[in-house]
Amino acid sequence: MAITAENIEFHGTLSELYQLAKEGKIKTSLQGSHTRACKFWTATKILSGIKNAVILTHGPSGCAYGVKQAYKLTNCRNSGAAYEPIISTNIGEKNVIYGGEKELIGALKEVDKKYKPDVIFVATSCATGIIGDNVDEIMDNMEPELNAKLMSIHCEGFSGEYRSGFDLVFKQIVKLMDKPTEESKAAMLDTVNIVGGKMGAERTEVDTDVKELVRLIKGMGAKINSVIAGNCTLEEIKKAPSVAVNCGLCLDIGYAIGKSMEEEYGTPINSTILPYGIAATEKWIMGAAKYLKMEESAKALMEREYEAIKEEFEESKKVLKDKIAIVEGHDAVKSLSIAHMLKSDFGMRPIIFNFHPWSTEARQTSIDYLLETGLDPEILITKGTLAFGKYESMKQTEDELLDFLGGIDPKSVVYFGSSLSFPNIPLVDLNAILNRPRFGYRGALKVAKCINTALKYSFRPRSSVFKEMVFPKEEAGLASGQALTPKLSQDLPDCTVYAHKRRRGQCMMN
Amino acid sequence: MYDELTFEQCNHSKDPIVSCALEGVAGVIAGIKDASIVIHSPQGCAATVNAAYDTHEVDFTRRKIGCTRLFESDVIMGASDKLKRLIKEADQTFGNKVIFVIGTCAADIIGEDLEGICRDMESEVNAKLIPIMAGGFRGNSYDGLDLGLNSLLPFIKKSDVKIEKSVNIIAPQGNINPTWWADLDWVKDILNTLGIKVQTVLAKDISIDDLEKAGMASANIILSHDVGYQFAEEMRETHGVPLILDDIPLPVGLKNTSKWLRRLGEYFSVSEKVEEIIKKGEEKVMTILRRRALMMIPRYHNCRIALSADATMGIALVRMLFEELEMIPEIILIRSDTPEGRKLLDQELKDLGLSSKVAFGIDGYQIKETLKNSGVDAVLGSAWEKYMAEEVGVKIAFDVLTPTNMDVYVDKAYFGYDGMLNVLEVIANDWERAYRSKEIDLEGYV
Repeated sequence: MAITAENIEFHGTLSELYQLAKEGKIKTSLQGSHTRACKFWTATKILSGIKNAVILTHGPSGCAYGVKQAYKLTNCRNSGAAYEPIISTNIGEKNVIYGGEKELIGALKEVDKKYKPDVIFVATSCATGIIGDNVDEIMDNMEPELNAKLMSIHCEGFSGEYRSGFDLVFKQIVKLMDKPTEESKAAMLDTVNIVGGKMGAERTEVDTDVKELVRLIKGMGAKINSVIAGNCTLEEIKKAPSVAVNCGLCLDIGYAIGKSMEEEYGTPINSTILPYGIAATEKWIMGAAKYLKMEESAKALMEREYEAIKEEFEESKKVLKDKIAIVEGHDAVKSLSIAHMLKSDFGMRPIIFNFHPWSTEARQTSIDYLLETGLDPEILITKGTLAFGKYESMKQTEDELLDFLGGIDPKSVVYFGSSLSFPNIPLVDLNAILNRPRFGYRGALKVAKCINTALKYSFRPRSSVFKEMVFPKEEAGLASGQALTPKLSQDLPDCTVYAHKRRRGQCMMN
Repeated sequence: MYDELTFEQCNHSKDPIVSCALEGVAGVIAGIKDASIVIHSPQGCAATVNAAYDTHEVDFTRRKIGCTRLFESDVIMGASDKLKRLIKEADQTFGNKVIFVIGTCAADIIGEDLEGICRDMESEVNAKLIPIMAGGFRGNSYDGLDLGLNSLLPFIKKSDVKIEKSVNIIAPQGNINPTWWADLDWVKDILNTLGIKVQTVLAKDISIDDLEKAGMASANIILSHDVGYQFAEEMRETHGVPLILDDIPLPVGLKNTSKWLRRLGEYFSVSEKVEEIIKKGEEKVMTILRRRALMMIPRYHNCRIALSADATMGIALVRMLFEELEMIPEIILIRSDTPEGRKLLDQELKDLGLSSKVAFGIDGYQIKETLKNSGVDAVLGSAWEKYMAEEVGVKIAFDVLTPTNMDVYVDKAYFGYDGMLNVLEVIANDWERAYRSKEIDLEGYV
């Protein structure tokens, strides 16, 4: 059975969807059952990537506890990092009535003495934002008394959408930077920053993706000053504007800091889509090489790298050319990048399935970039994407996917998405191999390996055990929404918030 | 008598290891069947509610959670209409019998009239609406569990008739066994074997009907030493249901288990059956442990240990560690701080002749500082303590409690005889993995 028109919310190109959203002709808000991280969470996530800095949350303890268990504890497990605190002024009912300014002053003094940090970031919460504590004035008055630098981050949960916390913090970090001098620039002619990084919940991001990009930068003979904010120091941040170029890690959030640094200090920005696949990686490398004046060595590097993966890569290319790729759209930036790769590298026809219209606002930067570079992927949004209720929405979109595929020759189509979906066609889950980057040439090799394995074993029916774990015959199934991380990442405060009280096989990566 | 630790620079700044009142409230609601939850809050608070559902491992298909996703204009102008629309949507989609309508910090401070809204909406929806204000600033998650439990009180019907030999079980979720419901199941099995009816579990897998009948029980048992006392006191005053077994540690280890069982047996006049359970249980434990004697006795004898836990597990573990495993619990750090918990730990330490260093209501900084200066051989706690131990040079850390990095597939009780074996199994495995002789730094020994 093919999908019927009444089950389709939108089917067209990204640019058409974008236009409808801008004109208010398609609903772009998230349904009430599909919450994402608030501004406080996204802000503190970026702050968590700065070493020897303490995040002092001015509010009740729950906000600090939540981000600590999600980001810090996970980071301890994933990267072997040391335990790091997130401090709370722990305000209570009395403070809500009489103000929490005394608590903040006391906490600033204590944190300065206890932890001796380079910087104390004071992050405001809903409670202190509403009662109107004068955080900035307190900090101005306190700064001369303390050893640490102070910076306020106004990130009350209600004060902005999901991505506003990322953007806010990246813009604030720029204020910690030293103005470049001719001397400092000369000393860093062959050096880059990677911007838009974050430490925390994601197992692969810093461990493998960043390491792969660092390897490529070094492979062309350049150096890295800092990954901002992926375990960087204040010292590195200060020097950051003097580098030859800022290279975006995640285009979407890297752009905010890259753009601010360009405006403030004239540091050039090399901003491309996520370096998934060879075309995007080459663009990323050449974008950096241009400012480093290392075009020749970059070309040599690219040849070397391609030679090493050529055989497997070409093999998957042969079987994919001209096929349809259904790309799961739950993670907007990733799905756009994967669609870009499948079209540019493999000559496929990507259709992004269930890209939430909410992402047109939340991921505006990535979309603008894609459209500017002439890519305008096909998008299919079914009614289930906008349905209320997490399980309800997931079940409905799965049925709609199966209906949609019912109208297509199964030999002509490959599904690129989570293995928590069970379409009856070859499925390529790019998260299925750990310990291998997704970016760069080695990432491209991983993609090729995933594709080749998926196609080779597509004769095996999907496990009925797995299927019933996700879609139970009766009302019983996954014990935790967190187990559905890759499929429903928009439901969770962040891509992989599973550390808390973990005890069962919850998703280890995203 | 314990020796209470004091900490400097900790009056205004806390590195919290427990969540806020909202998580506690949601932790009670997650135990009620056929209920959905509507949170009137910015979207980040939904993560806190989900964390509470995770502690129950509520099936994904049964998580019926909606959030009003408040933004700046809502905070300024109020957002009652938004809430009303969401309540209707949740009612239509989820079709549950009850909707809990929860206000968090923002709604609480701007003074949204949850009770009024719920009253007005009753006729427009099928579900029963229960409003609870749960601003995170109302306390930590222990306070929240109390707040959640207390909010259930009005639903308990007065009953002059008491069912003989029946109990309510209170606050099984106030326990940091990562699979705490296995402890609840152990208690229920024991009660069942002894012919004592479990009237209502407040709150795990109960319906509103079950809740209404809680007043018919002849006694209350709290399965926590961190929460539930206010609720039990109200139950005693209003419904005449007495609280029992609250003055002894929970049944962890051989001695505590037999003591707890005997007290239960005496209260319900079933001592004979209790003795049978004890005999059988102790025999099982001994048979299994005897096979491991060489891997246990020389390792554990006089091992100086720091214990970092909640009052429920913390107080219950002390006797087992000291008297049964011959370890020395030199430091005891407790996450909550209640007069009941303090009194019980004090009583237990006096009885054991220990003067351990103790702190209540501890935070991350205090745990780390204590471990840093402790000189202990091992620490028993959660994943937090394991990472801190690694950093401060305590080589052996037992990751027994929540939040743990263990993957536990089959639920494991810590209460009772199998429970003791379950705890010892984790200890044994973590011990085994703690040292490789190649990692021993001989230069470090002077």
